[in-house]
Amino acid sequence: MTCHDAREQLSALIDDALGAAERSAVEEHLATCAECRRELERLRGTVALLRAVEPARAPAGFVDRVLEAARPEPWPRRLFRALLLPWPVKLPIEAAAIVLVAVGVVYVFRSTLEPARFYDAPPSGTTMLSDTAPPSSDASREAARPEATRAPEATRAKETARTLEGARPQEAVRAREAERAPEAAKAKERDRAPEKQALEKKSPEGPPAAKTTPAPEAFKEAGQQSKDADERRAKLDDTARDVAKRQANVPPATPGETRSASKLEESPARAERSQEAAGARTRSQAREPEPRTDTLQAPRPAAPAPAIASFAAPDVSGRLAVADRDAALQNLAPLLARLGGVEDRRFVGDEGPIVELTIPREAYPELLRDLAALGRWQLVREAPALPEKVRVVLRITR
Amino acid sequence: MDRLRRGDPRAFEELVIAYQHRVFGVALRMLGSRAEAEEAAQEVFLRAHRAIADFRGDAKLSTWLYAIASRLCMNRLASGERRLLREGEETLARIPSGHASPADELERSERDAALHRAIAELSDERRMVVVLRDLEGLSYEEIASALDLELGTVRSRLHRARMDLKEKLERFLS
Repeated sequence: MTCHDAREQLSALIDDALGAAERSAVEEHLATCAECRRELERLRGTVALLRAVEPARAPAGFVDRVLEAARPEPWPRRLFRALLLPWPVKLPIEAAAIVLVAVGVVYVFRSTLEPARFYDAPPSGTTMLSDTAPPSSDASREAARPEATRAPEATRAKETARTLEGARPQEAVRAREAERAPEAAKAKERDRAPEKQALEKKSPEGPPAAKTTPAPEAFKEAGQQSKDADERRAKLDDTARDVAKRQANVPPATPGETRSASKLEESPARAERSQEAAGARTRSQAREPEPRTDTLQAPRPAAPAPAIASFAAPDVSGRLAVADRDAALQNLAPLLARLGGVEDRRFVGDEGPIVELTIPREAYPELLRDLAALGRWQLVREAPALPEKVRVVLRITR
Repeated sequence: MDRLRRGDPRAFEELVIAYQHRVFGVALRMLGSRAEAEEAAQEVFLRAHRAIADFRGDAKLSTWLYAIASRLCMNRLASGERRLLREGEETLARIPSGHASPADELERSERDAALHRAIAELSDERRMVVVLRDLEGLSYEEIASALDLELGTVRSRLHRARMDLKEKLERFLS
């Protein structure tokens, strides 16, 4: 073994970390090499110096600080953090959620109630309207439409709304021309009254009082409105005028056309929203009479929009008392198919399903006979003059 | 050990009490600053507290703690974030004077200062090995386990470290 090899092992020799063979080889070399023995002694001295160093001591309070840092948070603090600290974040979210849900509930509730309320209403309103409506008067039919049924019209795009407003004077003018149908105006006025009240969320005490309004006066008022200037409405945009003029030469709409003419949003929800606009418009008309040119007399566009029919006053309404309402509904479908009728809508009323259908006038008598065969048929109202397409509302009750 | 694994706070307290000086000593000699050493030693125990469930028990608990401490110190040294200031002899506990004469005490003080300075001047790797072996008393095997080194690497690294120290402390080795 060389001195170099031996010195490489000196540290391990001091630590007694050599195997027996290595140890004896190193010791054998050391026995013959004074220089390496001196080197070993100096290395031993160095190690002795190192091992003489007094161990370091952790500072006072070290254990407590470690334990404090390692200790889990006491449960009240954890609870506090879990419950209270996130509140600045949670609270606005929860509040917003509550508001959203509330708005949603009101929105859905009102939108679903509206059609049912219309049809479930006692026949005092619509029935009397039609009873007093003159025959074959489209104007009166239009006038007889409750404001609620017209409400969706206001939900259209702005342009459409203007178009409608432009078209509306046509009703009044035509009605004024045909003062032989004063009841129509009466009906219109009467019908708007409850509508306004409904909008203002008052109890429906308006309709009976409104019924007594003399119809000619109402129409005169409408005519007056047509003559007076309203700058806002005078600003009808070109589009509205174009549409109105285009409509000017179209013959008066049949009930079916009237329905289709509206071309409006069918969503009840939108109808509900638009009620306020319609009501506002009504009030605005009352306050601010407006000019209505003859060019705006045109009937409504004839584009098909069956959904709006749901909101137009029916020509015929009645109750069908049956033992099994589901069976009656099932029987209704083939019946309609046979008569060439169409079921437009179906609601769930307070007393049972409400079916709105359209049927050709010639098939109407047969429909009545068939309904009488299905159950106890009670005609609530029937327009004196039926259009070609008769709109019938059936309330199927027990 | 079972109590530690179950999260017994009393067992953890006993662990800290038992190993606080050793862990702190390694940190102090490796990092050079008492404040930094205390911070590092505290972190060692917190890591041990969090990881106690992972401790397999195939090594001594002390070796496991030294492994955590050495890794943490080496990471700090390598990160460059630590203060470069070495407190030198101030960082190391003075050897008590005992009943030595003033002359002996002066000589001893001078020797200790030289010793601590020599230790501080070692490379990090060599200093770690010599601290664990000659100051903390770990066996070669324990050092190899704590530092995750081969036994031969530990032996040669320790020898180099001692040889460095011997040259710097030559005048005290007569």
